[in-house]
Amino acid sequence: MASAIPEQRPVSIGEALRGLRHEAATYKGILSWIATVDHKRIGVMYGITAFIFFLIGGLEAMVIRIQLAQPNQSVVDPQQYNQIFTMHGTTMIFLVVMPMSAAFFNLMVPLMIGARDVAFPRLNAFSYWVFLLGALFLNFGWITGDIPDSGWFGYAPLSVQSLGHGMDFWMLGLQILGISSMAGGFNFIVTILNMRAPGMSLFRMPVFIWMTLVTSFLIILAMPVITIALFELGFDRFFAANFFNPENGGDPLLWQHLFWLFGHPEVYILILPAMGIVSEILPTFARKPLFGYPFVVFSGILIGFIGWGVWAHHMFTTGLGAPANAAFGVSTMIIAVPTGVKIFNWLGTLWGGSIHLATPLLFAVGMVAMFIIGGLSGVTHAVVPSDFQQQDTYYVVAHFHYVLFGGAIFGLFSGIYYWFSKFTGRMLSEGIGKVHFWLMLAGFNLTFFPHHMLGLLGMPRRIYSYPEGMGWDVYNMISTVGAFVIAASMLVFMFNFIRSIKRGRRASADPWDGRTLEWTIPSPPPPYNFATIPVVHARDEAWHRKYVEDDQGRIVRVPAGAEHDVESHEAAGAEGHHIHMPLPSIFPLIAAIGLPMIAFGLTYYQDTHGEWALPLIPAGVVVLLIGIFGWGLEPEAE
Amino acid sequence: MFHIKNSRTRFGVMSQVARRLPLFLLLFLLLLAVGCETDNPQNTFAPSGDVADKLRDLYLIVMWPLIGIMVVVEGLLVLSLIIFRQKRGQAVPRQTHGNTRLEVAWTIAPALFLFVLAIPTITTLRDLATVPDGDVMEIEVTGRQFSWSFRYPNEEITTTNQLTIPINQTVNVTTTGVDVIHSFWVPKLAGKADAVPGRSNAMWFNATEPGTYSGQCAEFCGVGHWEMTFTVVAMTQSDFDNWLRDQQAGNPNSNTSDLTWHPEE
Ligand SMILES: [Cu+2]
Ligand SMILES: [Cu+2]
Repeated sequence: MASAIPEQRPVSIGEALRGLRHEAATYKGILSWIATVDHKRIGVMYGITAFIFFLIGGLEAMVIRIQLAQPNQSVVDPQQYNQIFTMHGTTMIFLVVMPMSAAFFNLMVPLMIGARDVAFPRLNAFSYWVFLLGALFLNFGWITGDIPDSGWFGYAPLSVQSLGHGMDFWMLGLQILGISSMAGGFNFIVTILNMRAPGMSLFRMPVFIWMTLVTSFLIILAMPVITIALFELGFDRFFAANFFNPENGGDPLLWQHLFWLFGHPEVYILILPAMGIVSEILPTFARKPLFGYPFVVFSGILIGFIGWGVWAHHMFTTGLGAPANAAFGVSTMIIAVPTGVKIFNWLGTLWGGSIHLATPLLFAVGMVAMFIIGGLSGVTHAVVPSDFQQQDTYYVVAHFHYVLFGGAIFGLFSGIYYWFSKFTGRMLSEGIGKVHFWLMLAGFNLTFFPHHMLGLLGMPRRIYSYPEGMGWDVYNMISTVGAFVIAASMLVFMFNFIRSIKRGRRASADPWDGRTLEWTIPSPPPPYNFATIPVVHARDEAWHRKYVEDDQGRIVRVPAGAEHDVESHEAAGAEGHHIHMPLPSIFPLIAAIGLPMIAFGLTYYQDTHGEWALPLIPAGVVVLLIGIFGWGLEPEAE
Repeated sequence: MFHIKNSRTRFGVMSQVARRLPLFLLLFLLLLAVGCETDNPQNTFAPSGDVADKLRDLYLIVMWPLIGIMVVVEGLLVLSLIIFRQKRGQAVPRQTHGNTRLEVAWTIAPALFLFVLAIPTITTLRDLATVPDGDVMEIEVTGRQFSWSFRYPNEEITTTNQLTIPINQTVNVTTTGVDVIHSFWVPKLAGKADAVPGRSNAMWFNATEPGTYSGQCAEFCGVGHWEMTFTVVAMTQSDFDNWLRDQQAGNPNSNTSDLTWHPEE
């Protein structure tokens, strides 16, 4: 029958797509990255993109610190200053910590649960491309001069009244990024719930997987809230709606309620992944299991719930009234309890261990040490009346940098040092890594500890400059010096990273004596990760394959050969089993391209000479639909 | 196989941990002490009014125990690294999975501590929400890009960027914003009251000593936010009465009458 097909028969769409997809499988070089659906490659792209934005956000921070180093400076002008701190906050939250966490979800989740990829590989690629394009869109103002200027929190009505297209880029950029986060959130929930290796019950999951799960739920529940807020802002800006305009019955506080109802869960979206990473690293380097696994897991889940009931602690001075302020003060105190539990359990993990002071551990301990300070200063915010003084001062800036830099960024760096070898097959230099750690720790504390004092001395946030005689000069100078030390530490890190990729010591599959499944497969892992899907018998499965108790109750290593680990897996892989892997696809990228087209159209079409932009809206919709249909119709796998 | 590598560097780093962390803590306390002692125009630790006094006291009640907790917990962290650092050829440690009793204890202990903190929090909130009995001076504060106006509804005057009050007089400010959100803040006298368009927000305070107090907008409100400063001048009742008479007469010698701004016009 097949031979009877006449040659001139037109190729059906399905066949064309099938052909395209098989062709994509043969792509080499950059094209192979563009069409990739491999979670490891997507993870690498997420990580590198996020790191580049980390450098950009860091440069913005340097401008802020240079401007504030001394009183009465004008390194930039006030408008530029506002733009730079707006972009600094927006970048660090949405373009650095979130995607860096996403990088770890991508890289680690399948490896740690014994899966070959995520549940929806193409959705995963879509998620990355949407993130990249949304991030570029958000930063497009650097080219046109329309830079967002109303703060990362975008308080209405200032954000409604902001002139130019800066806040349009901000608002639509965040909408696009929200789509990316939602796609990622659903993907990881389904992956974690459905694709765990046989035997890996929920309570055998590594804590990092638990925290990814909680974070993903927070993402899919919190993003819609800011989406609504941003839609309302969009209606106010584009169509003169009155959501936030009190003259026509709107309310500026509506924005704050919506924004922080998103914003507080967002804080946990930023910190829980780092907590998960640290919860993996401390046991490995203390060489004993996480102390009180159920407590750590349940406190993470609890944080995920209570995190929804504390948003008004960002609004204590807006006049909510004493009863509401008291209620949100108390709820904020309550959330400190599960957070404290985590810290004590980490201490319990180290206590009685045999601690290997390698760089991943140093960064993890640094995370815990700095997070303690940030957590404690957070308690002072829960004491509402004292927050009446601290609100919107540098004291708050100190607090959240201890949590988000001292906490999240240190945690993410510990993850980079820990898992670098898994994906490169080489080790980061320990010596240079330690220089990086001590510089970053010292620079971080020099920069942000004085902010506590600045806040208590009455220095408000977001001020362009300040006069002499306020008592702020010394602390600002110390802080700026510290910022340069942090910058130096980043140069050391980049040197280490690039050098180690090229000439780092070769890493074994399991250089840290790891406890979780990713250490049972080669470094770097083959595209299919696991030649044979592992069967899980215990929490810390990899460790239990290596160690047993002897008859005297001592823990001894399983003699080589008796262990069913790396070698046998590699052998199985080398035999060349035919493993079905998802084929590459370019449709996620095509679909993603439609989104910024629509956003550009919306941004510009109402301008005096903006007629050209109107067609971009339907064109973007068409591109998006082409992407989605191509994606839907092409064959799923070989 | 697990090998103990780089033992020399590790011991070097170990002593660095031991030496440096306490040093950091000491540095922090020192910096904090400096903050307490200097007297600067917006120092929340040098209050000149009953409300700011309450807020400072409450902060200190909270701060000292928190510093204590910080020192203990950070100390335990560093100590655990020192005591339990890996020794050459050390066997795998006992694989303890937890200790329910201990964990319940360190869940309940912070909960109790926070419960104790909640008490002064709530009582202070109640105190601040209740304007003290007796004579109260009403002021309507309006924030706009980028200046402040202060209307005295009973005295029928309005001033700009300077609020003049008698000492030991309870002042009740009602704040609102015209264009965007601002926040009224005089650190030495009281906390913040946001000035939100379409809403009014109230806060009472007093000044216990005569003087000029520095105030500043505390909510980001645009390009001039950093310059949106104002002063509160507190004077004795008789000085205030004189000032008020000058104002009501439109006396040009008065330091603020030329700045008067009438939002209704
Ligand atoms: Cu919050
Ligand atoms: Cu302002």
